[in-house]
Amino acid sequence: MQAAAIAAACEKYSIMKQLLFLLLFGATLAARAQTTDSAANMPQVALHEVRVHTTGKSQHQKLFSYFKTNEAATTEDILSRMPSLSLVRRGSFGQEPIIRSFSASQTTLLLDGMRIQGACTDRMDPATIYTEPMNLEGITVQTNGNTLLGASVGGTLNLKLAQAYCGCESPEFSGSFSSGYQSNAHAFYEALSLNYATAKFGIRATGSYRKSQDYRDGHNETVRFSGFEKFNYSLAGIASLGKDWLLKGHFIADDGWHIGYPALPMDVGYAYARIGSLGLMRHRHDAAWEHLELKVYANRIVHYMDDTRRPDVAMHMDMPGQSTTLGAFAEGRRRIGANQQLNLRADVSDTRLKASMTMYDEGQPPMFMLTWPDNRQLRGGLAVQYQWQPDSLTTLQASVRGDVHAFSLQTQQAKDQVSVINDGSEPIPYFIPTASLTATRRLFPRLAATWSASIGGRTPTASELYGFYLFSRFDGFDYLGQTNLKPEQSLQTELTLQWIQKKWQASGTAYISSVSHYLTGVYDPSLSVMTPGARGVKRYENLDNALLYGLEGSFIWQPFTNTSLVSTLKYNYGQDEAGHALPLIPPFRNVTSLTQRFGRFGFTAEFEGALAQNRVNEAAAERPTPGFAIAHLRASYAWTKDGTALRISGGVENIGNAWYYEHLDWGGIPRPGRNFYALLSVGF
Amino acid sequence: MKNILFSFSLLAACLFAFSSCKKEKSTNPEPAPGPTYYALGSAYANGLHAQLFSDTALQTGYHRLYISLSDSATGAAVNEAQVSVMPLMNMGTMTHAAPFENPASTTAVDQYFPAAVVFTMPGSSSQWSVQVTVLKDGVPAVMSFPVNVDPYSPERVRSFVSAADGASYFVALLQPKKPIVGVNDLELAVYKKQSMMSFPADSSLTISNTPEMPSMGHGSPGNIDPVHTGRGHYKGKVNFTMTGLWRLNLGFTAPEGPADSTTYFEISF
Repeated sequence: MQAAAIAAACEKYSIMKQLLFLLLFGATLAARAQTTDSAANMPQVALHEVRVHTTGKSQHQKLFSYFKTNEAATTEDILSRMPSLSLVRRGSFGQEPIIRSFSASQTTLLLDGMRIQGACTDRMDPATIYTEPMNLEGITVQTNGNTLLGASVGGTLNLKLAQAYCGCESPEFSGSFSSGYQSNAHAFYEALSLNYATAKFGIRATGSYRKSQDYRDGHNETVRFSGFEKFNYSLAGIASLGKDWLLKGHFIADDGWHIGYPALPMDVGYAYARIGSLGLMRHRHDAAWEHLELKVYANRIVHYMDDTRRPDVAMHMDMPGQSTTLGAFAEGRRRIGANQQLNLRADVSDTRLKASMTMYDEGQPPMFMLTWPDNRQLRGGLAVQYQWQPDSLTTLQASVRGDVHAFSLQTQQAKDQVSVINDGSEPIPYFIPTASLTATRRLFPRLAATWSASIGGRTPTASELYGFYLFSRFDGFDYLGQTNLKPEQSLQTELTLQWIQKKWQASGTAYISSVSHYLTGVYDPSLSVMTPGARGVKRYENLDNALLYGLEGSFIWQPFTNTSLVSTLKYNYGQDEAGHALPLIPPFRNVTSLTQRFGRFGFTAEFEGALAQNRVNEAAAERPTPGFAIAHLRASYAWTKDGTALRISGGVENIGNAWYYEHLDWGGIPRPGRNFYALLSVGF
Repeated sequence: MKNILFSFSLLAACLFAFSSCKKEKSTNPEPAPGPTYYALGSAYANGLHAQLFSDTALQTGYHRLYISLSDSATGAAVNEAQVSVMPLMNMGTMTHAAPFENPASTTAVDQYFPAAVVFTMPGSSSQWSVQVTVLKDGVPAVMSFPVNVDPYSPERVRSFVSAADGASYFVALLQPKKPIVGVNDLELAVYKKQSMMSFPADSSLTISNTPEMPSMGHGSPGNIDPVHTGRGHYKGKVNFTMTGLWRLNLGFTAPEGPADSTTYFEISF
């Protein structure tokens, strides 16, 4: 669909102008749930107006500025508003997206279909932080076990990268510039994007810079070590190879410095990511294989944790980590007759990880250990998805996927060290079969239902296999890996009901998932802690079972042409085999946003709140979190003339200066208090 | 064409040269180069020439010693003899010995008779000596090798007075010599002091080992306590989870009851 959108956009000069205009304005968010295409039951948001051409304008306008609260929003800000996602927060930056109440290891995070693995043993760097919203075209969340992109227990999150375009009749140069300021953290945001396109060739370059000081909470107290500084630049190119084929290249570099993590004992000194890919793509509506794509990619992350800025550090330590991934995938989509479709995907990846820790105690030799003994994960997968529309009211979809994973230790040093905690045996290769079945039917003219059932699975992560005394500030335990873990498996079913009226629509999803061989840390009193002050040592083990279920809902109401109300809610519940609450389960949460436009002006009032979470995991010393309610006001003014567009936006967030934190915020570190922001964007 | 022929003939010549070289080596093997030991001295007695070697220069701790014997007249190697060693510390007013291990066999191993001595304290070559006694064809020959013993830090020999029987015991740390982050062999040798001159190997103790990083206060998992394997040697496993300074806290239990829990060795890497 992306390709279709791009192709469509490229075909007509006028459409392209419109595209740029809208792209700049950020009037650009569309929920895909309403579309009638193959991915009808795959929640997506499109961040760029490119979507307009495939989805029609009616629905996305109502979600205008909902996902992207303001132009300076980070990828994390956008993710936090998607109904099926939550963020685990350790600092004001580098939050970890989780799907529903599944942990990050239970979900698969992809960047444009590419595997990318954070280089931090403490999960300070989910791959989402290495992208900027301006580099993103859309975000896809697969929750219903649709396993085309990758196998997982809890779902797949794919960040689709914005592409360069070509196919213009005359050479075309365009761009945009944004500059913003946020008062609470004295944060600056500057971004520049430039596009050049000819008939055969297109290039897109972007750069953005963010710098944030420590923010202040609702008691006007500075939350120390919460600032960060980050530079992101990207270069994308596209070239037409003859009639059908397109050659695409993409490169992203992201450099962050002094990224503060107030909930952790250390910050990130620097984090560098280099992400590159080269792809070949063909898209033809009239061909049997209407979409073909082949991509090779490589990415590398260097991550350096640092405590030199912290006061009262008993013992200074360095914790560098590195991740390198090479991979390739091939995708094809074939139409079979008028109402059947086949999607195929084959992918391979090779990820190497290593991380170490060196502690310095005066007058003593440095203490060095591998926290991720040098390891490698070779992975290959094959997926087939078949879709059939027996009639105009019904869509059936079946998908199967098989993944083979082989983990190995790469150096003698790594093997020697791992033999301390394991008998030295390497994990046996894992085979992870996954499958799903989805049926969508319009039961009544205004009511559509989607039901799906799936079998999911995942391998243990490198931390779960080889992690060496990885300290978790969340529960205060050191974690030790184990090489003889079984893969986790899930059985999941979900039902979505969607009621669509002319002026409003409501949608609700209920899911239930039973996870067997549930992987979690189990306290082993026979082991002595490594981290001073740790409460004990946990080893990763497979438990029998865990049960997770929840609800998600959204409501969109457009009483008048220029008025829209969007409200989303989510509720999740999780328990282990003994009936105890699972840790880090987000409570009931609601965001409601009311937007009114007056010509060039737009105003949005927003409510955000969550109920208290009192079901906590006592073994992890998790504490109940009180509920909260906060409000935001936003305003914007947009003006355009002769292909130049100007947009000024501003607002105040957390108007009441409430002191609060959310349940997934580690350490109960308070969120920012009242914040004024202003942003100027110019497009040409 | 000519060039090519020339090249080929050159190549053939080279190949021939190499192959003939190989042949020569395989038919007339050089004597295998012996281990490169550290020479401590040589002495003559009763028509025998004895040389004393060790792995390294001597420092306090357990050392393997190697004695090679030859006929002083013919230079022919002597591979059959009963060899014994006795370390002696001359402290002026008194002389005492130290724990030792005599060669296990009367036959030399690769022309060396292996023995071992635990040097319990540092001392100059006017203080320490190793007395080697060779009994060959019923004739004893006694030779003395003055040796210098430097202090080694951290300490590899400890002693304690047993709370069970009041006797003094010497404990030497043999392994790990090259510690790694991982699983290491642990080897201790224990000797009981019967007199100033007699330190027989002891096999009666039960040993526990609790490794610890003093600056961090943590230990390591999966250690295997050393158990007696013969001649006073106790073997087990010690695991290190990181580099740095480690302390092996040892506990000794005699059949009659607890013997000692104060002895430790430090390992720094």
